[in-house]
Amino acid sequence: MAGPTRHHFTEALAQLEQRALGGLDLVCDSLTRTLEALEHQDVELAGLVIVDDDRLDGRYLEVHQGILSLLATQAPVATDLRTVAALLHVIKHVERMGDQCVNIAKLIPLSGHEPPVSAEILTVIERMGALARSQVIQSKRAFESRDVALAEDLVRQDEEINRLNRECFRLALDIGDDIDKREWAMHMILVARALERIGDNAVDVGEQVAFVVTGLFREFSDASHVPPG
Amino acid sequence: MTSLSPISNRRRRTNRLAKALLAGGTALALVPLAAIVYYLVSKGVGALSLHFFTSDPSGRFFGDAGGVRSAILGTIEIVGLATAIAVPFGIGVALYLVEYGKQRRFANAVRYFIDVMTGVPSIVFGLFIYIVLILTGEFGGFAGWKGSAALALLMMPIVTRSAEVVLNLVPAGLREAALALGAPRWRVIARIVLPTALPGLVTGSLLAIARGAGETTPLLFTATIVKATTFDLSSQMNSLPAQIFDDVRKAQNKLVDRAWGAALTLVVMILLLTLLARMISRRSRLA
Amino acid sequence: MIDPAPPAPAKSSMPTPRPSLPQTRNAEAASGSPRVASAAGHTVSLRGLDAFYSDHHVVRGVTLDFVANEVTAIIGPSGCGKTTMVRCINRMHEEVPGARAEGEVQLDELDIYGADVDVVAVRRAIGMVFQKPNPFPTMSISGNVAAGLRLSGTRGIDLEQRVEQALRAAGLWDEVSDRLDEPGAGLSGGQQQRLCIARTIAVEPEVILMDEPCSALDPIATLRIEELIDELKRRYTIVIVTHNMQQAARVADSTAFMLNGELIEHAPTQKIFTTPSDPRTEQYVTGKFG
Repeated sequence: MAGPTRHHFTEALAQLEQRALGGLDLVCDSLTRTLEALEHQDVELAGLVIVDDDRLDGRYLEVHQGILSLLATQAPVATDLRTVAALLHVIKHVERMGDQCVNIAKLIPLSGHEPPVSAEILTVIERMGALARSQVIQSKRAFESRDVALAEDLVRQDEEINRLNRECFRLALDIGDDIDKREWAMHMILVARALERIGDNAVDVGEQVAFVVTGLFREFSDASHVPPG
Repeated sequence: MTSLSPISNRRRRTNRLAKALLAGGTALALVPLAAIVYYLVSKGVGALSLHFFTSDPSGRFFGDAGGVRSAILGTIEIVGLATAIAVPFGIGVALYLVEYGKQRRFANAVRYFIDVMTGVPSIVFGLFIYIVLILTGEFGGFAGWKGSAALALLMMPIVTRSAEVVLNLVPAGLREAALALGAPRWRVIARIVLPTALPGLVTGSLLAIARGAGETTPLLFTATIVKATTFDLSSQMNSLPAQIFDDVRKAQNKLVDRAWGAALTLVVMILLLTLLARMISRRSRLA
Repeated sequence: MIDPAPPAPAKSSMPTPRPSLPQTRNAEAASGSPRVASAAGHTVSLRGLDAFYSDHHVVRGVTLDFVANEVTAIIGPSGCGKTTMVRCINRMHEEVPGARAEGEVQLDELDIYGADVDVVAVRRAIGMVFQKPNPFPTMSISGNVAAGLRLSGTRGIDLEQRVEQALRAAGLWDEVSDRLDEPGAGLSGGQQQRLCIARTIAVEPEVILMDEPCSALDPIATLRIEELIDELKRRYTIVIVTHNMQQAARVADSTAFMLNGELIEHAPTQKIFTTPSDPRTEQYVTGKFG
């Protein structure tokens, strides 16, 4: 029997995976900046996040094109095929997460220069941001090491984010009558919602890890089963 | 600037020398052939006439010596019978070797003996028939069919050898295709193998016939030399080679001339057969 | 052909009387009635099949079911025994000097290696298409198609009609109907291979074995043959040996992977090419060796 073959293909696929997962690093950077901008009400930094999203969109197009040419020229099968299919999902989730960062960044200037803040809500939001960030990092590690257990662990963190999201909503309800404060709180609900979506996307990446390894696609947690908050 | 350099003069000279040597050798080999054809034609044509073909040798010392009709007809009869024996048997043996025997020990033994038989001098076949069929006295004396038997022994290995080659050329895929269609083996042979190999088989047989027709010695011991035309294969029978053999020993010019004429006739007959073989093999689909 | 077959593609629960194969064939041939293609086809089952060339053990204990009216592809590296295994199914393997096979090959319920089974009848029931198109060079196009019937000595049927039927089924009729008397060897490679398929289906087999039928053809001719295979599986059970994994993926319902004479994995084609269970299958289909 001959030794390993298809060096070129194997390398190309590995590189593609690296580029797609690298997208998660970009998301992480973007998220860090977004949270910082949020914390300091830094409109300039928020603007940078919005502009920088072009890099993520570019990465999406690049990986998408790479996947198409790999499918067309190399006809990958079995694990290779599953990896390629999963990468297509991963890069789509990367692009979505980037969009959520942009959504948050766009809210920052709307809150005015020195908004009336609720420390309670800010703490919750900060906690959510940290969780979302760690989820993105963990999803990348799980994919790189094809670690299904690590991927499944994402659900645990995601439940925490969901809980915080509901709490944020409750806190906003009880914010009081001050109209400026209510406006700010509503913006924070939207921010919490965007962070929660980033967490969901990280879980979806984790689901792709399980698909690559086992060949079976299953949802880790079904959103329709989450009790209304 | 390419690294290709022009042919050196030395290479040119060597090339020319080699070509000249080969051409010279070929020309040298053609000299005896041309000489034979020249002598045959120049000496033989004079003897040819309608009378030459339509009368038997008279045997008279004076006057008309007669033609070679009995010899021509005798050759055709003897060789015809020999062909009728040698070709079916020869092809049959080849079929066995190719289709059934393959590389079995017995088949290889048969192949070996056929090779040996191809190399046996023709006089041995004549002597063999002489001893077995004539000296024993059980089957009468000299007879045309005994000449045929001797020639058949001579021709059969040639037929088998050439047929085996041709049958082996029939692609194995055709046999497989036919077998896979649910054909019994004998039908595969009869309907696929033999028709496909037919042109080659005919060519091989014709070459064997040409070889047999030119043999003298087996006939001297078996059919002998007579004068009268006969269509009875159990009687003594004349033949062209034997007639030539007889005539050239005579001290009369007209008989020697008749020998030349007979030789030309024989060569033309064989030439025609060979041409026929060529034409058929050109139509062969197994080329 | 052997008894009314069961509705399910599973093996018939009604055992067929053993010698029935040759008899039904003769009866059918004599009556000359064109056979109505039944939807329920025929199953082939290998039970512990071993095959040898002299001392070489080339197929090792293969147990495999070929489902009726499905295309089963056999893949594997060169020399893995896939062609030999397929040649055991219609007993062509034993034509090679020194070759022998052990174990069982069942056509529906009949063991075709049984002592009272006529090998000629087996080969009529299980047709074969070879790697290289091999029309009979001495025969015309129609002669080639009718060859199987003539060679097996079938009498009393309308040859002309059978030839047309077979050529139509092989998708060749429109291309050759005006030159049926021309030599079959004058066709293009792809046409020759379809002629060989027509020749095979003219004898109305129950199973068709194909040994790399497209390896000598260009891509377009290959696709035509693949389309034809898809058509044919409505009437026949088809086994195809192929080196081209894309071809297996395109035409086969299920795919079997062989390695060193052993059957490694047999599963629905889609599974073999997305989530094979055996690491060796995975390695082979992804081109990690071979």
